[in-house]
Amino acid sequence: MSRLLPLALLAALVALPLALGPSPYLLNALIVTGILTIGALSLNLLLGFTGQLSLGHIAFFGIGAYVSALTSLGFEVDLGFGYRIVHEPWPAAVGFGLATLAAGACGWLIGRLSFRVRGAYFVIVTISFAEVVRLVALNWVELTQGPLALTGIPAITLGLPGIGTWTLRTKLQNYYLVLAVGTLCWLVVARLVGSRFGRAMRGLKENESLALSVGINATRTLTVAAVISAAMAGAAGSLYAHYLRIIDPDVFAFTTTVSMVIMVVAGGKGTLMGPVVGGLIFGLLPVALRPVMAPEAQWIVYGLVLIVILFVMPRGIVPGLADLVRRRPARPAPVLEPSPVVQR
Amino acid sequence: MTGRFTLTTAILLALAATGARADAIRIGVNEPLTGPFAASGTYVVNGARIAADEINARGGVLGKKIELVVEDNKSNPTEAAAVAEKLITSDKTPVLMGAWGSSLTLAVMPKLADYEVPMLVETSSSGKITTSGNPFVFRISPPSALEAETFAPMVAKLGMKKVDFLVLNNDFGRGAATDFGKMLKDKGVQVGLVEIMDQGAQDMSAQLAKLKASDSDTIMVTSAVDQLVLLFKQMAALGLKKRVITTGGSQNPDQIIAQAGSAADGTMHLTTFLPWIPEKTPDPKATETFIAEWKRRGYEFAGVTESFRGYDGIRAIAHAIERAGKPEPAAIAKAFWSVDFTGLNGPIRFAKSGPAGRESGQSKPDVYLIEIKDGRVVLPTL
Amino acid sequence: MDQLIQHLVNTAILGGTYALLGIGLTLIFGIMNVVNFTHGALYTVGAYLMYLAVAALGLNFFLALPVAILGGLLFGAAIEILLLRPFRGQDIDTTMLVMIGAGIALQSGTLWIFGGVAKAIPSPFPEAPLQIGPVSVSWLRLFVLGAALALIGLAYALINRTKLGLAMRAAFQDADTAALMGVNVRRIYTATFAMGSALAAAAGALLGPVYVVYPQMGGLAELKAFAIVILGGLGNVTGAAIGGFILALAEELGAGYVSSGYRDAMGFLIIIAVLLYKPTGLFAKAERIG
Repeated sequence: MSRLLPLALLAALVALPLALGPSPYLLNALIVTGILTIGALSLNLLLGFTGQLSLGHIAFFGIGAYVSALTSLGFEVDLGFGYRIVHEPWPAAVGFGLATLAAGACGWLIGRLSFRVRGAYFVIVTISFAEVVRLVALNWVELTQGPLALTGIPAITLGLPGIGTWTLRTKLQNYYLVLAVGTLCWLVVARLVGSRFGRAMRGLKENESLALSVGINATRTLTVAAVISAAMAGAAGSLYAHYLRIIDPDVFAFTTTVSMVIMVVAGGKGTLMGPVVGGLIFGLLPVALRPVMAPEAQWIVYGLVLIVILFVMPRGIVPGLADLVRRRPARPAPVLEPSPVVQR
Repeated sequence: MTGRFTLTTAILLALAATGARADAIRIGVNEPLTGPFAASGTYVVNGARIAADEINARGGVLGKKIELVVEDNKSNPTEAAAVAEKLITSDKTPVLMGAWGSSLTLAVMPKLADYEVPMLVETSSSGKITTSGNPFVFRISPPSALEAETFAPMVAKLGMKKVDFLVLNNDFGRGAATDFGKMLKDKGVQVGLVEIMDQGAQDMSAQLAKLKASDSDTIMVTSAVDQLVLLFKQMAALGLKKRVITTGGSQNPDQIIAQAGSAADGTMHLTTFLPWIPEKTPDPKATETFIAEWKRRGYEFAGVTESFRGYDGIRAIAHAIERAGKPEPAAIAKAFWSVDFTGLNGPIRFAKSGPAGRESGQSKPDVYLIEIKDGRVVLPTL
Repeated sequence: MDQLIQHLVNTAILGGTYALLGIGLTLIFGIMNVVNFTHGALYTVGAYLMYLAVAALGLNFFLALPVAILGGLLFGAAIEILLLRPFRGQDIDTTMLVMIGAGIALQSGTLWIFGGVAKAIPSPFPEAPLQIGPVSVSWLRLFVLGAALALIGLAYALINRTKLGLAMRAAFQDADTAALMGVNVRRIYTATFAMGSALAAAAGALLGPVYVVYPQMGGLAELKAFAIVILGGLGNVTGAAIGGFILALAEELGAGYVSSGYRDAMGFLIIIAVLLYKPTGLFAKAERIG
């Protein structure tokens, strides 16, 4: 049963554009939703599986976007003391790779930090990190163009020169690219969670001292989780940059982190389908509500919806529905697979 | 599962609903209604509405009513591009007006080229807009180079020797600093500091402290009204007593007078409209009609200095649609080149600008220098 | 040198309001262990209440201030009773997310009600500044400093000299024991949250007339409040007060001598530095408040 559902969803998503017809507006909404959902998937890895709430997640997304954009646009900066860096434009696909690496490196930094500070302090440090990155993007105009925005970002080109290249410019192509990357990320998370490493993560989340006592290396586990989580967010950011073809420092807005948090928490943190369901709902809700409700009113609703979900279904929609289906009362600890964390 | 079906049905219904109103000609309006430029964007939209109502009262365009589809670009370039996408693909507007700020307009321009839909640029001042080879851009506001050119003869009369700049950190501000700086150097005036302020910044005391200590005699400022009010108040609080000249045409002097009070006295502004002295405008009767309608709707008089652009913009679009004969983007884009009428601040006629074969349209409006004296707007005696 | 003195004067004035923000948050964070993401929204609410009272209702400026603060108090109490009590006992992440949801709803609410255009609050003080040698200070800002210091003093007195304050300090040390000693901890929590929110609203009401009032103004203020709390140490009122001035100093000097664009970054850099090297804050008297 649990194998069939994701497969069915994937099939539905592949067929969706063909069923809905050539509507560029809807495709646009789906693409952006897909990208944010990948972000939510990556956030879930940290928040849901290791229990560390990083509210600076947008930093990785934005860093990925800027690294990818700058790699493919080329830039010239004066570092002072007579040092000048001139970068020629490279293919967008390389930008994608570099974005993932760069974001992952930042994730490594955050992972090391998490060893020093936990809980509420960790949250605040991650927010601060995101804000500093935003201010750098805003003020280092020579590199990032600041509020003037990086425009004319090229689309991603697949293939090899000489054999055949394929530039992903249309919305349909971008949709399938996002779907492909998203599916890949989901598989990575699923594998990770089911492995020994996954059990270590969950062990740390549920009872840190116990986990440490059985020999789980907290720093290493959290760091690896942070790296993968950040790399995924960076990949999503890169897709965003090459789809929108324009990036400005507002990509670091705290509200986008909040959107991703809502997607994860409402969908069900610590589950595999949770962020996907949450992502689809909260990504497409603004589109559906737009003709009916002003954007400010929508955000009031989202804020209230978040509170209501935390109250009524604190584990999220997917576990809540799963419980309803199985007609069992909500269990205190979310368990993904039948294998328990600690053998009793 | 059921959730997704309902969602799809809702989306399809919404699509059907938007398609049903096929009788009106829709004009997309892409303006900042929130964020640092909210005041200006709101003025422009209100001016646009007056024009739309006026045109509809006279029978509309091509026998149909025009309908403004107004969207908020949140003073942000990425959002401006997203809004343009929505207006073109979802609302199917054959022509747009927008996007107020230069950086916002520049962000929208690639979409115009992709979808081949024309846009009337009503406020932006960056030179890049009409020189990038985008044949779907038609601008009625002056580029900052034109503002500088008009201001050039007054430089000697004002006795300017050394000028500092305090500008917004975007294409609007930086473009002005570049264009005015070039003009001043050509006239033998020294250019000193070029200080930058963030779009949303509220505290400019750091920049002002530096400017206070410099040896220039004039500070040229480029920003929008909300920030200008804060600037003048902070300048007064610091005891900064240099001559201040603002550029860009988004000053809304009456709002400055109302909110900055005596701190605004003595400041000069380059504007593109003279609502205080209708006799001096190119079409005094039209000016008075517009101002009367504006006041009748209960809007702040201060907004007239920006809203007239929304008014003229919609009128220009209506002329273009009329000449095109059908509400289709390609026809409208072609028809813009034959538009010729008197706007509230000068003749609206689009001249070719930019690389050959892909020129944009640029009109040549009037530019005036005004001064705030004892809480009133006057034409300075030079 | 003149520039430096001007910066120091600016620091004193800005620091007062920052201190108010910080004290409010450190009380809530310290006593209730709640990461209060509605603090910025309350700051905004205070500013808008001030605007409503002065510009829309025509109240005297000096009367409007207590009205705005009272409004903040009531809002805070309402949030505590409606949103925090039902979630009491849940882990810190859940309450944090609840506060985020409430903060967003409040901010969007102000946007919806008042619109996106910034509002100015007219001040009764003359525009011409007070000139003391090379330094200029506006009368309004002097008033703001005075009012802020008065409110800080009031807060201090309340925490250290009253029974309520004693109960709050007891709850900070050990909520269970305090309850055993007869302290109504539920009411203390409501009072604490209300008081913290009132201080945030006061900061907003004081800074509103100095700058302009717009719906997103609370975002940055909230993050700076966190910086101050971490600088001063959780629950440490004196630390928060001093932290407020330190942040203002860092911002002024950074903006003046390094780069004006990075003014707002100072707070965040301080957070990161302090948390990495001295997580308990610069004034670690970790076990007490006041």
